[in-house]
Amino acid sequence: MNTKLWFAGLLMMYGILPATAQDAQGQATGDGGRISGNLEATGNFYIRDSLIRAINTPQYDHQKYGADAWLNLNYSNWGFDMGLRFDMFQNSSLLNPTGSFTDQGIGHWYISKKINKLGITGGYIYDIIGSGIIFRAYEERPLAIDQALYGLRLTYDLSPDWQVKVFSGRQKQQFDTYKSTIRGFAINGFMGSDSSNITLTPGFGIVSRALDDASMSNLVSTLNTYRKEDIFIPKYNTYAFSLYNTLTAGPFSWYAEGAYKTKDSFTDPFQERATVSGDTITGRLVQGEGTVFYSSLSYAKNGLGITVEGKRTENFDFRTRPQEEGNRGLLHYIPPMTRVNTYRLLARYAAATQFAGELAFQADVEYRVNKALLLTANFSNITNLGDNQLYRELYTELYYKYKRKWTLYAGVQLQEYNQEIYQNKPGVVPVKTVTPFFDFLYKIDQKKALRLEAQYMNVKEDHGVKADYGNWLHGLVEYTVAPNWTFAVSDMFNISPGKLSPENTKTGAKEKIHFQRLDVSYTQRANRFALSYIKQPEGIVCSGGICRLEPAFSGVKLSVNSTF
Amino acid sequence: MKRQIFLLALAALSFAACEEIAPPVTGYMGPVGPGPDDVAGQQRQVLIEEFTGVRCVNCPAGSAAIEDLAAVHDAQLIAVSIHAGEFSPPYAESNYDFHTPEGDQILSYLGEPFGYPTAVVNRQLFDGEFDLQLGQSQWAGFIVQEKAIPPKVKLAIKPVFNAANRALGVDVTLFVQEDISSTDVRLSIMITESGIQDVQLTPSGKDASYTHKHVLRGMMTNYGGDPITETLSGGAEIAKTYTMTLPVGWDENHCDVIAFVSLAGENKYVLQAHKVAVVE
Repeated sequence: MNTKLWFAGLLMMYGILPATAQDAQGQATGDGGRISGNLEATGNFYIRDSLIRAINTPQYDHQKYGADAWLNLNYSNWGFDMGLRFDMFQNSSLLNPTGSFTDQGIGHWYISKKINKLGITGGYIYDIIGSGIIFRAYEERPLAIDQALYGLRLTYDLSPDWQVKVFSGRQKQQFDTYKSTIRGFAINGFMGSDSSNITLTPGFGIVSRALDDASMSNLVSTLNTYRKEDIFIPKYNTYAFSLYNTLTAGPFSWYAEGAYKTKDSFTDPFQERATVSGDTITGRLVQGEGTVFYSSLSYAKNGLGITVEGKRTENFDFRTRPQEEGNRGLLHYIPPMTRVNTYRLLARYAAATQFAGELAFQADVEYRVNKALLLTANFSNITNLGDNQLYRELYTELYYKYKRKWTLYAGVQLQEYNQEIYQNKPGVVPVKTVTPFFDFLYKIDQKKALRLEAQYMNVKEDHGVKADYGNWLHGLVEYTVAPNWTFAVSDMFNISPGKLSPENTKTGAKEKIHFQRLDVSYTQRANRFALSYIKQPEGIVCSGGICRLEPAFSGVKLSVNSTF
Repeated sequence: MKRQIFLLALAALSFAACEEIAPPVTGYMGPVGPGPDDVAGQQRQVLIEEFTGVRCVNCPAGSAAIEDLAAVHDAQLIAVSIHAGEFSPPYAESNYDFHTPEGDQILSYLGEPFGYPTAVVNRQLFDGEFDLQLGQSQWAGFIVQEKAIPPKVKLAIKPVFNAANRALGVDVTLFVQEDISSTDVRLSIMITESGIQDVQLTPSGKDASYTHKHVLRGMMTNYGGDPITETLSGGAEIAKTYTMTLPVGWDENHCDVIAFVSLAGENKYVLQAHKVAVVE
C-alpha cells in the first residue's frame, strides 16, 4: 500500500492530478504531456422482493445501497507512460453476488518507458500470450475479474518484426496480491513481404507458477484427509507452454495454437472419491498434465464470410493456487466456443469453458445477398471428452434494411444446455429451448427512432414439467432522441413457469412473474448518465465470454460514464 | 533466425528448474486420538459450521468431507450442521424441520455463501479471503492452521439431564489462559443432534433414509452468544449456568452440548470450542 501512496504522491508532485481538474476536456496538459482517462461508476439501490428471491443478502436485508466505481487516469510525458486507477467498492455484490464487499484504494498503477529497443513496465500489467490459453492478465469489471500481474515486464525489439518479452510478478487480488509467483516469456514475430499476400505471425510462450508455502500447506492438509489411493505428491512449480501462429493468405486467415501444461494440482468437480468414512463424494483434488488445441479458419470475400473453429481442452485449469474456485485466481483465459448472444433470452443459457475437458466446434456463416439483406447462421457443439453432450446451439438471423427508414433483425435460436454441468445442479435434465426473436428499428425522423424487440423462449418439458424456469416472453420498446436521450421499457414474463419457478405460498401453484425493467439514459458528449429500475431473475451472467450464475436482482441502478 | 532460436533455448533453460523437494503427503493416517481428557491438557478445538439444507443436492458431499475431517482431527474438530437458507425448507414428506431461528440468524450474522457446500471455520476471515464462508477445498488447510494456535481460553462443560422432566442444566466454566483485551467476548452454547434419518436431496434423488449428523437443534444462548461481562485476565475462572427443557423428539442419547467463546463485532473469531454429550 505504501508503494501505491508513494506513486500517487509522485503524480501529485508532478502536477498531474491538478492538471486533470483544470483541463478535464483537453488532452494536452500544456507541459508537453498528454492526459486521458475515464470514469465508470454505478450506484445500486436494493429493493427486497421475496417472490423473486431477491432476499437474504446484506444489501437487501439492511444495507440497501451499494456502489462500484473506477476512475482511470493515463498520462504521457518525457518518454514515460503512466497510469493510475482509483477503485471503490461499497457494499458491492460484484465479487460475491450473495455477499457484500467494501474497500477502496489504488486498484491499478503502472509506469512504462521505452529506451531504444528495450521497453520497461512496472506496476499492474495487463498482457496476453497467444489467445490467452496459458496466460492472460485482464479485467472484466461486471464480474469483478481483475487478473492483473503486479510486477515487472521487459520487452526487447529484436528487429522491426520480432519482439521478446519477459515478466515476473504476482497476481492481483483486489487490493492485495496472491502469494504465488508467476513468470513468463514470449516471442512474437511477423513474416511476410509486400510482394506476397501470405503472412505469418508466429509466437511461442512459457508461463510458470511457483506455489507459495501457505497454499502448498493447505493443499497437503487436504490430501492428508484422502485415502492413500487418491493422494499424489503436488508440485510447487507448474510450467505451461504455447506455440501459436496466424497464417493469412488472400481471403483466408488461419489461427492455430497448441498448449501444454506440466503436472498441476486442481479440483476436478466431477471426479469421485471414496472417503475414509466410507461415503462416495463427487469432486476432488487431482494432479495431471493439461493440453489445449485451438484452431480457427476464416474466409471473407464477395459478401461471404465463413469462420470455423475447433477446440479440445483437457485438464487445463491453471490458477494462482488450486484452492481458488469459479472465476477467481485464474492465470489464463480459454476462449469460449459459442456465439456471444446479446438479446436477453438468447443469452440466458451460456456455455462457459470447461477446464476439466471439452471438445468444441463452431461454424459461423454470413452472406450478404445484396445491400439490403444479410443472412447469418451459427452452429456450435460442445461435448465433454467422454462424448456427453454439454451444449449445442443453432442460430439463424436475417437482417433487412429498407432504405433509411427501417431495419429488421429476425431469427430463431435452438439450444441444448447441460444445466447439471454448467450450473452444478446435479440430477437436472438438459434444458432444450426454441427461441424465435425479432428486433425492429423505425426511424421516425433524423433524430427520433423507435425500436421494438421481442423474444419467446419455449423450454421443452420433462415428465410433464418444464425444465428450469420454463417458458419466457420478453418484449422491449426503446425510444431514442439523438444525440441525448434514450428511454426503454421492457418486461421478461415467465409465461409458463417451470420446475424452479417459485410457488405461491397459499395455493402451491407456480407463480407467473413479470420482471420489468425501465431505463432512461442521457448522453452529453463524453458523459453518459443512466437510471434503471430493474427486476431480474436468477441466471447466468456473462461478460467477455466469462460467465457465472448470479441470483435475482431487484432495485434501482444509477450509472455515470465519462471519458476525457 | 539464429538469434530467435538462441533466445528460445535460453528461455527454456531459464524455466527448467532443478528437481524440487516434494512436500510430505501421507494421506489419511488414522485419527489423532481424543487427546487429554482434563481441562489442563485441553488442546485447540476448532469449530466448523456447515450450512446446509435438505433440498441442497451438493451438501451431502460437503457433509461427507466433514466426516473425513472429523475422522482425522477427532476431538480437535467440532462440527455443526446448520440448516438455513434457501435449500433448508423441509419437503412435504420430511419428518423433521431442521430449521431453527438461531440457524437463520447465524447465517445472516456470518454472511450468505456464494455456493454450496460451504462452511465457516472458527468464524475466521482468513488471509486472502473476502468472506467467512469457505468452499470445500479450503476447509482442511484452514483447520490445520487453526489447530496450531494455542487456545487463549479452555472450557469445561458439565451437563445434567433429568430424563423425567427432560430438563437440561449445563455448567460451563471458562479457564482463561492469557489476558483477552477484546471488549466484546461472547459465550455460545449449541445443542446438536446426530443420527437422524430423514429425507435429503442427493445427486441420485431424494434419500428418505439419509443420516443427518451434528444438526443444530437449538441454542441455550443468543445466536451471537451471550456477552461475558467478567474481566478475562489470565488465570481467571468464569462459571456460567444455563438451563432448558429438551423438546420431545430430540433424542438425548444422540445430542451434544457445544460451547464456544468468540469475539463479536466485525471480528467474530472463535477462541476455543468444546463438546460433550448430553448423556455421558
